[in-house]
This record gives sequence, C-alpha cells and structure tokens, in this order.
Amino acid sequence: MSTALVVFVLVLLLPLFLASWRVSLVGLASQGAIMAWLAYDRDGVTTVADGVRLVDLGLVRAVIVPALLYRVMATRRADARNDVIAPNLVSWALALTAVLVGFRFAAHMPLPDAERPFVAAAAAALLLAMLVLASSERVFSQVVGVFRFENALALFELSRPEPEAEPGFRVGLLVVLVVTIGLARWYLRTLTPAGDAPAPEAP
Amino acid sequence: MNPALWLLAPLAFLVLVGPGRRHNAITLVAAATVEVIVATVIAIGGVDTGADDLLTTDATARLFLLVIDWAFVGVVVYAWNRARVDATRPEASARRGYLGIVFLVAMNVVVVANHMLLAWLALEVTSLAAAPQIAQANLPGSRGASWRYLVFSVVGLGLASLGFWCLDHGGGHATMRFDVLAHTAAPADDPWRDLGFALLVLGLGTKLGLAPMYSWLPETYDEAPAAVTAMLAAVQFNGTLVLLVRVLQIPGARDGVAGDALLVLGLASMALSAGSILATRNIKRLVAYASINHAGVIAIGLGLGGEAAYGVLLYAVSNAFIKAILFLSIGHIEAHYQTKQMRDVGGLIKDLPYTGLFLMVGTFALLGFPPFGSFLGELLILSALAASGQMLVFAGFCAVIATTFIATGRSVFPMIWGESRIKATWHSQRLLPHLPKLVLLIALVMMGLYLPASVNTLFREVAASMGAR
Repeated sequence: MSTALVVFVLVLLLPLFLASWRVSLVGLASQGAIMAWLAYDRDGVTTVADGVRLVDLGLVRAVIVPALLYRVMATRRADARNDVIAPNLVSWALALTAVLVGFRFAAHMPLPDAERPFVAAAAAALLLAMLVLASSERVFSQVVGVFRFENALALFELSRPEPEAEPGFRVGLLVVLVVTIGLARWYLRTLTPAGDAPAPEAP
Repeated sequence: MNPALWLLAPLAFLVLVGPGRRHNAITLVAAATVEVIVATVIAIGGVDTGADDLLTTDATARLFLLVIDWAFVGVVVYAWNRARVDATRPEASARRGYLGIVFLVAMNVVVVANHMLLAWLALEVTSLAAAPQIAQANLPGSRGASWRYLVFSVVGLGLASLGFWCLDHGGGHATMRFDVLAHTAAPADDPWRDLGFALLVLGLGTKLGLAPMYSWLPETYDEAPAAVTAMLAAVQFNGTLVLLVRVLQIPGARDGVAGDALLVLGLASMALSAGSILATRNIKRLVAYASINHAGVIAIGLGLGGEAAYGVLLYAVSNAFIKAILFLSIGHIEAHYQTKQMRDVGGLIKDLPYTGLFLMVGTFALLGFPPFGSFLGELLILSALAASGQMLVFAGFCAVIATTFIATGRSVFPMIWGESRIKATWHSQRLLPHLPKLVLLIALVMMGLYLPASVNTLFREVAASMGAR
C-alpha cells in the first residue's frame, strides 16, 4: 500500500476520534488533496477528462467544500467541539471494524494487485461514511458524512484507470457535486440557527 | 438525429421564467405540454425507434415517457391553478419554474438514457431539482424533510453508482450501454456482478422507498406541497423504476442476491407500511405509506420477473396515476380544511363533490378494486407468485394486502361520507381544475378494461424484455 493511501486511511480515522469540526474539515480537505495527488501521480494530465478530474478532486473537494463549510460554521460561532460519531468505545470499535472489513473485502474480491489497496481504502471510507451518517444527529456532521461518502465513491473510481473517460460525463459529475455543495451549505445555514442543532435522523 | 433529443426542447422555456414574472406557473404548463406532445409522438406516433451510445427510444422508454409526462402535466396544471387563485403561492415563484423545467427534462433523460452514467446523472439532477421544492418558507419542518430527502438521495444514488461501477468492473469495461448489456450473456460466478446488482437494488430501492431505507418517504411526502409530492410519487418514482427495470433486463440480474433481495425487501416494505397505515391519522402520510406498500408489490413482481412482468408494468403505471390523483385531491382538501387529520374531515362528497369523488375513486383504485389496472396488475403478480411456488411470500402478501385494505377503508371512507368536525365555507367547486385528474382517471380505467393496441404492444414488448413469454 502506498504512503498516500496509508495517510488517506489515517485522515479518515483521526477526525472520528478528535471531536472538533475544524479537524473534520481538515480531514475532508486532506482526503481531496490525497486523491488529487493519487490521480495526478498515476495518470498525469494528458486529456481534458484528466484535467476536469483534477479540478474536481484538488480544487472542489480539497479546497471549496471545506472553505464553504468553514465560513458557515465560523460565521455562526459554532462550538469548537463536534462529535461526528458518538464519543464512546462502541463507536470507536465500530469505526476500526469498518476499516478492517474494508480491507478484508478487498482481500477476498478478484482484483489486480495494483487495485487492491485502492479498493480496500475506498471500502473502508464508504463504511465509515455510512457510520457517520447513521450516528449523526447534527446537520454539520451529516454534511460531513455526505462528503465523506462522495469521497469514498471518488476513490472507488480512482482505483482503476478508465480506458476512455468522456469529458462530458466528468463535467456532469463535477456540476452535480458543485450543486450538492451549494445545497448542503444552504441547509447548514437555514436548517439550524447555530449550525450545530440536532437534525432529522439520517440513514 | 435521435428523436429523443426533442425531449430537451422544454429547456427553451427557462428564458421565460424569472423573479417577479406573473406567468411562471403557466410557463411550466407550456413546457410540460410541449414535452408531453413530443413524448406521445415518440411513443405511439410511429417515429423511427433506435438507440445510440447515449439515448434510446425502445419500448421501455416509450411506455414510461407516456406515463411520466402525462402525470407531470396533471401535476403542473394543478399547480398553475393554485398559483392562479393566489399569486403569492410558492407555485407561482421563479424558483419552482426553473426547478420544475429542469426536473422535467432530466426525468425524461433518465427514461431515454441508454448509458448507465447518463441515466444516473440525470436521476441525480432530478433529486437536486426536487429537494429545494420540498422546502416551504413558512414550514420549518419541510426544510428538515427536504434535507432528509437529499441525504437519502445522495446515499441511495451513491450506492447505485457503486453498483454500476461493480458491473463495469465485472464486465472489464466492456460497455455501459444498456441495450448491449441486455443482449450479453451472463458470465458464470462473477462476484463483482452479484455485488453490483445487489447494490443497485439497495440504492434504487432507497429512491423507490423500499425498506430498510424508506423513512425519508413519509416525511417528505407529508411536508412537501401537494404538487411536489405528486411529482415525486408519480413521476420520479417511475423514472427510478425505469432504471431498475433496465438493470433487471441484463441477463442473470435476478440469479444472484438481487432477485432474493427484491422479494425480501418488497415483503418487508409491505409489512412495515401496513403497520404504519393502521397507526396514522394523517391522510397524506396514509397515502405515503400506501406508496411504500406499492413499491413493495412492484419489488416482489420485479423479483419474480417472467410471468409477473406484465402485471408489474400494469400495476406501476396504474399507481403513477392513482398517486397523482390522490395527492392532488389531498392538496384540495388541505387547502379547504387547513388540516391533514382524517378525523377532522368529513362529508367531502357534499362539501367538495369533485374532490370527494376523486378521493373515493382513487382509494378504490389504490386498494386494487376492479375495473382499475391496479386490480389486474395485482392479480397477475399474485398468480405468478403462486405459480412460482413461493407460498410463504404469497401468504404474507395476502395478509398484508388484507390489512392495508381494512386500515385504509376504515380511515378514508368516513372522510367521504361522514360528518365533518370543521365547517369551512367554499364557493361551489369548478370542474376545470379537476380535468387533468379526470384524464388520468380515464387512463386508469382503460388499463383495467381496454388498452389501445399500440399501448398494449408497448406493455407486451417491455414485459417480454423482462422475461415474460
């Protein structure tokens, strides 16, 4: 497993143990930056589709998402503490189990060796995102869960080179992501006056 | 040029919508009218059918184009009438105009998409266009419901996209074209394909309101304005169903986990909804739970495939029209009595005769009475279930249907014939705003009694693509 993927798994886990919304945003930014590096390191920027993907990962996910959410939370003067999962041993054990399950899944599926670490990290990221969404009552934590989920899907896509990626589809995916960000920010601003009040139950 | 490209024409109406303009609602009606004309010409007008890398006008697309566009016209005519009566209503706003047109075009793209990624993207766009329409400025609860809808949509569609990724992985990037996949032999023992189909059932099942990820549906349907609820229940539901049908048209899709998952999730959804129908006192929630019930019936039919296919199609199309009729009628009731509580409403047949009549007939259709298409559809699914030897599912199905029947009748019929606790004044009802519902009702009855040959051929072609003989 490459160093970048090891760091990716670490930035998946750390914000779950450090109960701060700022750390959660740093986690999201780091995920985006690492994925951008992984994409650039493997494929470079040889086509329009590669360029759009780099903007998606390196600009939108690594910079714009955390910056927009930071502005909302800072404007609301939200408390520094924010648990994205319940702060207890059961939740922490579940988080670690999710990572193990992700790696076991990748070990069992028929995969080329080069793809296996990507799929392991992506599966772990997906399970952790589901854990965050299932256990969060606060809108901010749910927004973080949604973007963790989106990042996990992006890492799955990164796991194998696409033979003929259509730039049109890449742009479409980017537009959908940007609109999702805009909506998430709107809900974070309007749904909870303090940006951290309990929200409706999530899946 | 692929004729399906004409379905993008309503986007031109976006330039006519704008803040402060008085005709936003009628612009949406005009866009929907153009779309329904194009859809009808494509579906039964003898236009050359075919498929390219992105779009197709096969039988599945043509059948569901008819369904979603006619249902959408009914919904927007209702919304226009609400905006006409009261210009401050949200139905008159530019936001609803923009989002309505984007939703309409994206939904049509879902139906005619021949490429997995295009279909998925268009469905995502419909969710992003629908979410802000659920929120109402004066109802804080509706914003929570809207957010919840968005979260479940992101998760459901995310799982579906992962399902497509797994299918693509299993096929070694062979193709993402539905029409090619539908004629590709299933490889033996491919865990990526099994996982892909299972994730697609779970993800698209979330959008359909199937258990276990159904809890967004009652809240969203309850809190959204009636027109938006009808749009989600009658239009988006069927667009999502098209995507699931296309997945199940791939050879071997039901052979792994997906077939069993559809049966289990379908029965679980039916059982959960029956319990909730018994408990609720809110008419909108009752029909929302009935929608979960219908999703369960459709999932069971899809899981069976083969001889149940024709019944599933009849049932799904009937339910699109039933839900549009019922939710729009409930919108009138809510506006009149300012309540959704069933015990506060009574004597509808005297007080609001057209609304009462549509609620009554819609409820009979909802419960699967003859001569409606839902009756025939349910009968065909039940007979396929019995023929398949799944007697435990058959028994559970019958028990849940009986419970739903009793619980719904007990709650809804007193609203129509009982005494009202709330006396509201209302000038006599005009027929004109109810005409779209009348058209949908006529279609509903025709599906139970007589289908024109061209439409029946569409049903048979789609059923054949799902394994019917």
